[in-house]
Amino acid sequence: MQWDKAWPWISTVARLGLAAVFLISGGLKVGDLAESGRAVNAYKLMDYDTAKVVGAVQPFLEIAVGLLLLIGLAVRLSAAISALLLVVFIAGIISAWARGLQIDCGCFSKGGAVAGGDTTYGLDIARDVGFLLLAGVLLVKPRTRFSMDGLLMGER
Amino acid sequence: MSKSQRDRAAAKRIVEQQKAAERRRRVTIWTSVAVVGVLVIAGLIGWGVLSKQESSDAGKLTTPSVAVDEGTAFAFGTGKVTIDLYEDFMCPICNEFETSAADTIDSLITANTVTVRYHPVSILDRASNGTEYSTRAAGAGAAAAEGGKFREFHKVLYANQPEENSDGLTDAKIIELGKSVGLGDDFATAVNDKTYDSWATKVTETFSARGYTGTPTVVVNGKQLQGASGGVPTAADLSAAVTSAG
Repeated sequence: MQWDKAWPWISTVARLGLAAVFLISGGLKVGDLAESGRAVNAYKLMDYDTAKVVGAVQPFLEIAVGLLLLIGLAVRLSAAISALLLVVFIAGIISAWARGLQIDCGCFSKGGAVAGGDTTYGLDIARDVGFLLLAGVLLVKPRTRFSMDGLLMGER
Repeated sequence: MSKSQRDRAAAKRIVEQQKAAERRRRVTIWTSVAVVGVLVIAGLIGWGVLSKQESSDAGKLTTPSVAVDEGTAFAFGTGKVTIDLYEDFMCPICNEFETSAADTIDSLITANTVTVRYHPVSILDRASNGTEYSTRAAGAGAAAAEGGKFREFHKVLYANQPEENSDGLTDAKIIELGKSVGLGDDFATAVNDKTYDSWATKVTETFSARGYTGTPTVVVNGKQLQGASGGVPTAADLSAAVTSAG
């Protein structure tokens, strides 16, 4: 019935929303890779040399995932990779929170240490869980409008 | 419709369904391969850009002859307690710390109690509209140290600290401030030529590699000093730490 017609549109909104999230977060970091490496280093989960590489690779991965979602190529796989990245980010924030680190998550910005009491871990996690829901919608209902998948499958 | 016609129509439908299923399968496989390929390439680009930046920085590195601690700091005083100060010239909290702790640090140096090592790091380059004030200021600090006036220059630069997210001070203004504390043409040349800017990057790398993430970071005899509830230490915190370390 009506839901069959509505799902592709709901999924399209989820796809474009998630694409914007990754394009913006990657775009904000890609201009200063040293900064991005320091943001990763602030989590104190790996030595600095590893953090530098992760910090340099991550913004490019985020932009790539954002572009793939934007054009709608292999939406289910792209959504699965998005979900994986988000789960890793959420785990990182929880671990920083649990260890009492005073850092900015570096999700959409600078990252690094912040003054005592200025952390926003709860909000950061809630926001990432929201993004995870968008990825979940796409995992269950990957068919969307205006997608490369649709074009290649010969829909419309 | 006869029975044979119906059979033929049904067979045709089955063939078409199979063809469509085959097409979906092929598209899924190839688009998945494309996605993985794109991600691998993106990761390699990030890695490549990082390596290129690092080798370019290493190629331009000029270490000031007066620098100590693996060439990443300038030392003052000869006391046996070591205070390491990691500060960014753009960082307002560093300025507050400098303002409140300057007298304490001066008297500890004069009393020959401590050796203070200044590490001018550049973690706030994003806060100067792309002019990379943190790096320029730290590089100028190295030039001032070569001219024998690091502490004087350091002080006047904090007294004239620009707002975060402004363009920062121009090189001309930095040179003018240097001259006001007695630095000469060599200083001006080093600032204009960005002689020590790659060195500022190296100091910042060393800072990060030591596990420090924010400025100001105050370290007394190798142990990071924290203020109340993990905040920035006060002058009193510093005095107390030096007393217990000495």
